[in-house]
Amino acid sequence: MENKVTIIDYGMGNLWSVASAIKFLGADPVVSHDPIEIANSNCLVLPGVGSFRRAMETIKTNKYDQAIAEALTNSKTKLLGICLGMQLLGASSTEDGVTPGLGLVPNLVTRFSSNNDIKIKIPHIGFSEVKSPKNSSLFANIPDNSCFYFVHSYFMEIANYDVTKSHVATATHGTDFVAAIESGRICGTQFHPEKSQKSGLQLMRNFLERF
Amino acid sequence: MAKKRLIFTLLYDNGSFMLSRNFRLQKIGDLKWLETNYGFSEVGYSIDELIVLDVSRTPRDRQAFCETLKALTFDCFAPIAAGGGVNSVKEAHDLLRSGADKVVVNTALHTNPDLISKLATEFGRQCIVASLDCKYSDNTYQLVTNNGSETIDLELPQFLAEISSLPVGEIYLNSVDRDGTGNGYDFKLLDCLPKSIEVPVILAGGVGNSKHLAEGLSDHRVDAVATANLLNFMGNGLALARAELINTNFDLPVFIEY
Repeated sequence: MENKVTIIDYGMGNLWSVASAIKFLGADPVVSHDPIEIANSNCLVLPGVGSFRRAMETIKTNKYDQAIAEALTNSKTKLLGICLGMQLLGASSTEDGVTPGLGLVPNLVTRFSSNNDIKIKIPHIGFSEVKSPKNSSLFANIPDNSCFYFVHSYFMEIANYDVTKSHVATATHGTDFVAAIESGRICGTQFHPEKSQKSGLQLMRNFLERF
Repeated sequence: MAKKRLIFTLLYDNGSFMLSRNFRLQKIGDLKWLETNYGFSEVGYSIDELIVLDVSRTPRDRQAFCETLKALTFDCFAPIAAGGGVNSVKEAHDLLRSGADKVVVNTALHTNPDLISKLATEFGRQCIVASLDCKYSDNTYQLVTNNGSETIDLELPQFLAEISSLPVGEIYLNSVDRDGTGNGYDFKLLDCLPKSIEVPVILAGGVGNSKHLAEGLSDHRVDAVATANLLNFMGNGLALARAELINTNFDLPVFIEY
């Protein structure tokens, strides 16, 4: 198992819970806001709740985007984005105007909408079933349609990804959306694995052990 | 669609966990008592969410509350919302750094609406739970704040009609009259909700047993049911209630053992 896990601290997100889960799984979480430490890590977690635009501003101001890119030049480096952290991996988001993301996966992020045909509650809050892709390492040993905890108003669109390079798990809230993505060693979950009971812990264990 | 949720609410006052009846508090036990009688590493698997509220009647020791929150959530891998007198971005930030995923706001909704906008900008509206303490009087529902000690000059239906203008992610609708009585939820509170309400609704106040939870889950306007009854679900009480609800086909998530 990967021992040292660097949790990128850009001021947004429940770092305590992510760190607790990593500790519980027997690894050593290090919360860091030092770009050099991030660039030198080979196991990164990008957590986050809040506004996409604000998050990207903070990430760019502190050059965390460059640090992440540098870390990923090492072919052994793996990255897990959680919730907003997954959305940030995408190409762009329509939150507060169009904001470019880190562009590590090509998907776009947009807001849920409720209308007379499909009435949904926004934000999407609570446990929802996730359809996991075949041959996924992230979902190894996790039964299909297991429940994970979501809390978000924006979602990553399924369209626009390369099926030969990526595995995409989906969930439904009015529309189908990306619940989790794995593209090589770049992984992301829209749900909070650290808040998703034993299935979530299993997924985090898979990330630590199988990538 | 998200499944419905079963939420357990813990009330904290100055180092102790409390039972509340019509907002009058009775001390039940400390963190050690809670661990002995609930053990949140295990109870976490019987609930969909935990809400922890600092309802201290004396000035709040926010740091002590954060430490308690950390101790509670250390090995509890379930969603946590926390609050109690939150009146600044810093206080919300500290809760989110102590294990909370969401922040519960109540009095500030009325006294400091600018703060709600600031919190939404900082953490996203999905992070904010608007808690409304409702009291039936003069043929309408009054809203009370500051642990129920003050009545504000706006009735519940009026407030809810305008709630879409506030950037909040959820509404926690609590009945002061039913609180701690064990007589079941006050469903008339739900009649005050506008039909177009977009955010999820949590119903609270009055649960005495799992039948009451079932009644709450049966109402289509309810996304989550909450109970703060510290004595009625001790030991494996929450696990039993959950199993019973799932067996009677309520759409709660089934948590898998590994």
